[in-house]
Amino acid sequence: MDVFSPKERLQKTLSGETVDRPPVICPGGMMNAAIVDVMTKTGHLLPDAHHTSDKMSDLAYDVYENTGFENFGIPFCMTVEAEALGSSINFGSLECEPKIQKEVFPSVKDVTFLPDGTIANSSRAETVIQAIYLLSEKYPEIPAVGSLTGPISTAASIVDPMIFLKQLRREREAAHKVIDYVTEQLISYAKLMADNGAAAISIADPTATGEILGPKIFDEYAVYYLNKITDSVHELGVPVIVHICGDVRMVKPQLQKLHSKVLSVDAIVDLAMLKKELDNMPAMGNISTYLLEFGNADTVFKQAKHLLSKNIDILAPACGLSTSTPLNNITAFTSAIKEG
Amino acid sequence: MGKTKDELYSEMSDAVVNMEEELSAQLSNEAVESGYDAFEAIDLGLAKGMEQAGRLFDDGEYFVPELLMCADALNAGVEILKPYIKTERQEKKHKIVIGVIAGDTHDIGKNLVKLMLSSAGFDVIDLGRDVPPSVFVERAVQENAKIIMISSLMTTTMDGMADVINILNEKGIRNEFKVAIGGGPVSRRFADQIGADGYSSNANQAIKMANELVGR
Ligand code: B12
Repeated sequence: MDVFSPKERLQKTLSGETVDRPPVICPGGMMNAAIVDVMTKTGHLLPDAHHTSDKMSDLAYDVYENTGFENFGIPFCMTVEAEALGSSINFGSLECEPKIQKEVFPSVKDVTFLPDGTIANSSRAETVIQAIYLLSEKYPEIPAVGSLTGPISTAASIVDPMIFLKQLRREREAAHKVIDYVTEQLISYAKLMADNGAAAISIADPTATGEILGPKIFDEYAVYYLNKITDSVHELGVPVIVHICGDVRMVKPQLQKLHSKVLSVDAIVDLAMLKKELDNMPAMGNISTYLLEFGNADTVFKQAKHLLSKNIDILAPACGLSTSTPLNNITAFTSAIKEG
Repeated sequence: MGKTKDELYSEMSDAVVNMEEELSAQLSNEAVESGYDAFEAIDLGLAKGMEQAGRLFDDGEYFVPELLMCADALNAGVEILKPYIKTERQEKKHKIVIGVIAGDTHDIGKNLVKLMLSSAGFDVIDLGRDVPPSVFVERAVQENAKIIMISSLMTTTMDGMADVINILNEKGIRNEFKVAIGGGPVSRRFADQIGADGYSSNANQAIKMANELVGR
């Protein structure tokens, strides 16, 4: 018998208490674990499961049960927010995640500001929120993690990304206005997730990497708006996980300013070293998603043990999983951690 | 004004590196007024600046927003000089069709490659993202392109790149095009495996690679 339920273990870890062993999770959203192997095994399929809360919660449960990840992670994509704010979506297929068909606005100056709560009250968000509610009621011991697409990625999913990236320098005022608007929308959505039982909120913001933005813009926009969301969610007593993609070498001082309870990073980062450099900041990660897809179970198992020996606070995939990742590689990862 | 041609070209280059759109336009007008060869002013002035911007990007001094602004400064100058390019020089442009393979939405990298290649004197036709393999072939034929460039950031979608080559083979037109690929999970080895002609790991190198492919 485990001393802690998965939810207790995650919550204690996120509040800095010591536990028997680190949790192993996959928060959903960008880091979606609804892989083809699980879906074909259980018959709860994407893209269907994006659309109704029953199917979404069924699939989230399948993922939990089959992969060994100690959480529910929903939604399964990064398009909920942008769709609500006006962009058109292609829902993809069993193997391929949904994507933005077209960003609705050509420039930050053309954005139509919809009333607050537009994301939170959208039908896509309702599906997610309802699924969080169903899962957390039915399985109170398993943490349901609500995943958000970060403010920069969401903004660059409603405004043409190339124009948007340029306008972060050229049209700072208008850019801030748009990202602030998106941020407020994300906050009310996150609050509804929290009210409906989300044990944690996870924010991934792939367009906001240090490599794409550079340290100054990362600081001015990504850090500021990620913190704004984080603070609002923390006020409700719900912990926030922030994931930063790519190589974080040039944004280390900026990472230190993040208010999230734990920082999740990509495989290229030496997590143990980063922790040291960032005053022992709680860290999550970071088994390579390429290893998970192309490696064999044995190597995955060894790598998992290696990570475990480095006192990483939460074990998780380093970034977004490929949907063709073999299930037995994932179970090799999770069982290596659970075995302690 | 007593400025030599070389001085003007070097100021044009700096204007691009420093992301100064208006200055770039102004200096390009100066080049026109001085009666300098427009093609040369682009080649030895503006494009040199873009080359340096590309290097700064590789070195981690510039990031995507900066590179995009340099490109705007370059374009502001090119717009002014373009009407003055002598026609025999214009026709030399090699055509490239470029796009992101079906299923994949990641297009920042593709757009940077496009921008660097355009600045290096290629005529680049952008097919956008989430492009089915057959469309790469159709458009390449239609446009009479020399090179087909395919980007993929996802292991899930990268096999679609091989489909493009298969279609070319099936149609018996493989030899009419060079195929070059790139993007995060793509490697030289993968390029060799699927029988692509070119690979490069970044936008700057892509210029050199494209030049080699067209024998420049
Ligand atoms: C930004 C980003 C996003 C943004 C994209 C915005 C946009 N409009 O492009 C958003 C938020 C939309 C996004 C979404 C998703 N993403 Co994403 N994303 C990234 C990230 C962090 C950076 C990519 C990037 O733009 N880099 C900056 C550019 C400048 O670099 P680049 O693309 O490598 O391009 C350079 C070179 O590669 C080269 N190059 C590129 N193309 C070409 C072509 C040719 C011909 C040549 C010669 C050279 C060349 O030149 C470029 C300039 O030097 C990567 C991780 C990473 N570090 O690469 C993940 C990543 C690509 N995403 C990933 C995932 C999983 C997703 C999602 C599926 C998440 C989800 N669960 O829904 C969705 C995609 C949905 C879909 N069906 O497409 C995974 C892919 C995993 C896989 N299957 O292989 C990655 C690898 C993250 C990871 N696991 O590490 N993402």
